[in-house]
Amino acid sequence: MADSQTGTKSAGDSRPMDIPEPKFNWMNQSRQWGTRVTPDKKGLTLDKTNVGIYGEVPQRWGDQGRNPRGAIPVKGALPIGYSVTQKTELWADCAAELYEEAIQRRWAPATDVPWSSIQPLPNDVEVAICQVCTEILQYANIDIEVLTNWQHRMSYGYHEVKQFLATASLDAARRYEAFRKRALINGGGLGLEPTGQANRFLLESRGGWTETVAGLALIRTLFVATVCEYLYKHSYNDAERVVYSFVIQDLARLLTYGVEHLKFSLAHDDERRGSVITMIAIGLGMFARDLRDPVLREALAIVFGGGISGARNEGMSIYYDLIEDFRERHLAMRRWLDLPADAATMPRAFRPRDQN
Amino acid sequence: MTSSKTNGNLPDLDLGWMDQHGPWDTHAEPGKYGFTLADIQIGEYGQVPEESNNQTGRPRGSKPRANSMRLGGYTVRTKSDIWLENASFLYEEALQRQWSSATDVPWESIKPLPDDVEQAQCQMATFLTEVEFVAGDVPARWISSTTPDYFEARQVLLAQVMDESRHMDVFRKRALANGGGLMRATGATAGFVGGIDLSRDFTEMSSRLHISGEGAVLTIFRMGELMAYNDAEKTIYRLCAQDEARHVAFGVMHLRYMSQNEPDRREEIHSYLDEAEGSMLTDAANPAGRLTQTSESLCILLGGGSDKFDEGFRKLVAIRRRQLQEYRKRVISAGFGDRFDNGRSRLNELMAQAAA
Repeated sequence: MADSQTGTKSAGDSRPMDIPEPKFNWMNQSRQWGTRVTPDKKGLTLDKTNVGIYGEVPQRWGDQGRNPRGAIPVKGALPIGYSVTQKTELWADCAAELYEEAIQRRWAPATDVPWSSIQPLPNDVEVAICQVCTEILQYANIDIEVLTNWQHRMSYGYHEVKQFLATASLDAARRYEAFRKRALINGGGLGLEPTGQANRFLLESRGGWTETVAGLALIRTLFVATVCEYLYKHSYNDAERVVYSFVIQDLARLLTYGVEHLKFSLAHDDERRGSVITMIAIGLGMFARDLRDPVLREALAIVFGGGISGARNEGMSIYYDLIEDFRERHLAMRRWLDLPADAATMPRAFRPRDQN
Repeated sequence: MTSSKTNGNLPDLDLGWMDQHGPWDTHAEPGKYGFTLADIQIGEYGQVPEESNNQTGRPRGSKPRANSMRLGGYTVRTKSDIWLENASFLYEEALQRQWSSATDVPWESIKPLPDDVEQAQCQMATFLTEVEFVAGDVPARWISSTTPDYFEARQVLLAQVMDESRHMDVFRKRALANGGGLMRATGATAGFVGGIDLSRDFTEMSSRLHISGEGAVLTIFRMGELMAYNDAEKTIYRLCAQDEARHVAFGVMHLRYMSQNEPDRREEIHSYLDEAEGSMLTDAANPAGRLTQTSESLCILLGGGSDKFDEGFRKLVAIRRRQLQEYRKRVISAGFGDRFDNGRSRLNELMAQAAA
């Protein structure tokens, strides 16, 4: 009963309805049909979908819309305004794998942490732990702001990276939440606002994502991960141990992405080497200024030393071990990235104790 | 608490920071749902300022440093601009209900489908892969512009970014799992005036994204049983609907807060709703709208094949009407129901046009 005038027909049921004549002009349009990806023992993971043209990740993604990689693009769509459009600016081969790992290892501070294991602590230790929590949750806040400030600028063609960064920003949200909860549960509260030189460096690093990653991964994330490892070794209850171990896992993924991205970027864009080296130098300088402030150092020393009395010797000694571990890991990553890695060029705050 | 002793070459302790902290003697306690964000909204830590002058990014309730730099550059610093009363609940629920598209979807239940049905599934999956992450990109941008004094709202948005990331990947996986492939993108979220990407005010963005955009998609997901051909697809639609319902709830609760606390902005909000209603059935971002690619795909899926297009179209019309009814309920719940009584809303007109 097609109506030749309107291209519609009556449905012929009790309620008259003009049913449009279908065009089906979208059918049989695919750049690659016949694709059949299958799950394996890890399920149907994101990297499994990278088959045929769907796995071809171009060096430059010029599309300014949300055209899924491998789909037929729309011509004439108004641009959204992505600015990170080169593969060398964000790619890491491991992004899809890290994305799935992050989802498998998800946790909830509300229910996965045995909060009841926290018992009253000596006042000096509680003050110190609360100060450390305040510092780490402030760092998490900066991670959130840095990641979300870049995420929306990244082209759709590199969806694996955008998706991994979505997990990384939720990880940071969880850090923010977990350390705030720890500070408020045991008779303490939040401490003194941290200093912000390194924060400033990360937030103001707007010239390039790769340069931001250099600071975020090789300095901030590596430092917080190292701090959490030491806190884990010197924790006072199961709740803290569980929080630190989850956070270490989360940060390890961000660190892996960062290092792998830098490796990829430096291998494919040699001109970036200079700016990455400069960013690391500036970042370390600003971070060293933060470390000159006694608050975090002393708070950690009190936690490690079991109180103020233990902080003066044992606690402070452990703190310097931590700084040395950070330095050695940082330098090892720089060597792996084929970047200059001479400890003597680092700010004094990171040099071996006998050289200070 | 100042140490005057030195320890060899170890620095003296200052300890002056130990007396500088936020409200002390805080004993937040876990409740029956674990230790939730709501449980730590106690005392001064639970007091959310109407206006935030926190430009350093310090955690709410921590002791400010007088010499801190203003790093934040936050543009969202008024509570009513972003706040909602149930943010803690939505965030905790989001963490509890995270799921994995790799392992929580029974992919093995997908069996070969008639070619027209597979093409329709793949076209819908292409569309959803394309549009879902607009709700990741855009909230991310706003998170980085919002003061951490309103961190509860930011946490919900961070969880949303993660949810949308999963939606983007689960539909990509579906398109590539059954002998099909990605088809033609629509450009539905291109950078046009009035689009979600270009909103310059958070509430404007939220009304477009959460109330009309995601609201329309939520209705589709809820009707997923009608267009699913196997347990994998049913699972996908059910899990996505769960996520989407939280996002829509964010928008409704935010508008309600805005309505109650900023009556001067009610007319402005009504104008966003006018705009939303004007394009509700024609907007390409509504898969049940009039865009041929998506509406015809839905008709095939709902009817059971291209030869049952008419039956599918009748169901599509029922879905459109349900979208409009659900939109009405949301707007009433948000406190803007007067538009349906005073003749401002075009909803009745749209109901009549739903079959066109």
